[in-house]
Amino acid sequence: MPEIYLNDIAHGRSGDKGDTSNVCVYARKPEYYKIIEREVTPEKLHAFFGDMVKGEITRYEVPSLGGFNFVMKHALGGGATMSLRLDSLGKSMGSAVMRMKIHVEDGEI
Amino acid sequence: MKKIAIGGGQGFWGDSPDAAIHMIREGCIQYMGCDYLAELTLSIMAKQQLKDPAKGFAPDFVTRILKEAGKEAWQKKIKICTNAGGMNIQGCVDAIHTFAKSQDMKGYKIGYVTGDSIREKIPKLLKDGWTFPNFDYDGDFHEILDKIYNCNAYIGHEGIEEALSMGADVVVTGRAADSALFLAPLAYEFGWADDDWDNLARGIMAGHLLECGGQGAGGNYMYDWRGVPQMDELGFPIAELTDDTFEVTKAPNCGGIICEQSVKEQFLYEVHDPANYLTPDVNVDISNSTITQLGPDRVRVGNVKGKPRPDTLKLCVGYHKGWKTVSMLSFAWPDAYEKAKYCADVIMKKMMRRGMKADDIHISYIGLNSLHLGVADMSEEALKNLNECVMRIAVFSEDKNECAKIIPEISPLQLNGPPGASFFGGRAHVQEVMALWPTTVPRDALDIRAHILEV
Repeated sequence: MPEIYLNDIAHGRSGDKGDTSNVCVYARKPEYYKIIEREVTPEKLHAFFGDMVKGEITRYEVPSLGGFNFVMKHALGGGATMSLRLDSLGKSMGSAVMRMKIHVEDGEI
Repeated sequence: MKKIAIGGGQGFWGDSPDAAIHMIREGCIQYMGCDYLAELTLSIMAKQQLKDPAKGFAPDFVTRILKEAGKEAWQKKIKICTNAGGMNIQGCVDAIHTFAKSQDMKGYKIGYVTGDSIREKIPKLLKDGWTFPNFDYDGDFHEILDKIYNCNAYIGHEGIEEALSMGADVVVTGRAADSALFLAPLAYEFGWADDDWDNLARGIMAGHLLECGGQGAGGNYMYDWRGVPQMDELGFPIAELTDDTFEVTKAPNCGGIICEQSVKEQFLYEVHDPANYLTPDVNVDISNSTITQLGPDRVRVGNVKGKPRPDTLKLCVGYHKGWKTVSMLSFAWPDAYEKAKYCADVIMKKMMRRGMKADDIHISYIGLNSLHLGVADMSEEALKNLNECVMRIAVFSEDKNECAKIIPEISPLQLNGPPGASFFGGRAHVQEVMALWPTTVPRDALDIRAHILEV
């Protein structure tokens, strides 16, 4: 099974509320929606981020837009006001999600 | 059929005024909303106001937007709603009044909405049994009582709508929810009732797509950032609504892009549960919404639904948490990362010997892993032949003196550490760390009022 970056089939944006980061992830083509649904589960995303995300990850599906919203708690090192990270607002959390490696079936993309 | 066009003029305090001025010059809108407040902005403003009572609002609204195009907006009957009042609504109103007088804008009506700042009401609310539970963390509100900078409730559109109905040409608020600045003119123009949930939700989502300025028109655009025309003249988004349509576009003769993907990226931005996006005005459901390209730079948003608004309002309490120091040193090829890491080890050994008591220490390497942290590529291949690397050490402590200890230890490493260390940006300084206590407050604890000052 070929391995690709999520970035190859998806796009999105990250935002912050306190120490919670949300990343919306949209399929670049409608047929990629089901790949993302299968490959980017909250469990896999948590395993990918490890210590970077300390709280719960919830996935909301929005099929009418061909996308998902991932809400990650305690993900910003304390949040905009307290975080010691360079990117305290998690502006780069969106691209961090996109570098997750995912599996696709032959011929799926 | 009546159509209202409203533009997003500012995405945050410090944003470029260019797109807002352009929209006014083009005259393609009837209303503009200018958002200045992020989560921590009010705490920063409160701190400024403590030092100088004349401060505490976003003067840029007057100095960078109104001075350039305020009179033209008034002449063209473009009305502007803004939360630039921050912690000092009166100060902002006075600044606008002085400006309008200097421009001979006789009859200009400055509307303003008071009542979002409830700090003085906290003791009574506590006495009445309201506990101000923290959404994010455990903790007792009493522990931060003597460290509070500000307590502001996110208020909805009603006060702004009332000021508009009183004839306001500009409306200034404190912590009105960003999207309420946009919903208010729409509700006023279309006569939406306060329980017309579906329409209120449409207005909120129009605001949601505009409140971040350029981010709604091709800024911060992951799908195809290279394909955004004229990013140096980025236009900001404009929403056009009728009683049953909701479209997004932008001003003519400027850069940026309005397409399905650019609108989608902003649509879920900072939304949590798409079926329950809570705002002071309505609980918005966008879980079945649609976004359809109608033509060049024109998109239609459909199926936005609303449910009754929450009983409580979100309250943001900003308080003093402690102190931090951020120090950096840069290193060049060869072995840039290895040298930077070794240098960090040397500094930390020295600090341990000096007995620095930090509550938290964060070390990262700019150019390598300071953004993507644990998921950055740290393979041998990525490290080999790295041209340069910046060591960054951030220290947090509740004790200011502990944070200061590291400052004199950085620059000596240019002579005393691994080869080629370069110190830049001047000596670090200890910065205050403010924190937010996100909680709620009952609606009836607030006394929201609309006022008018005529020039």
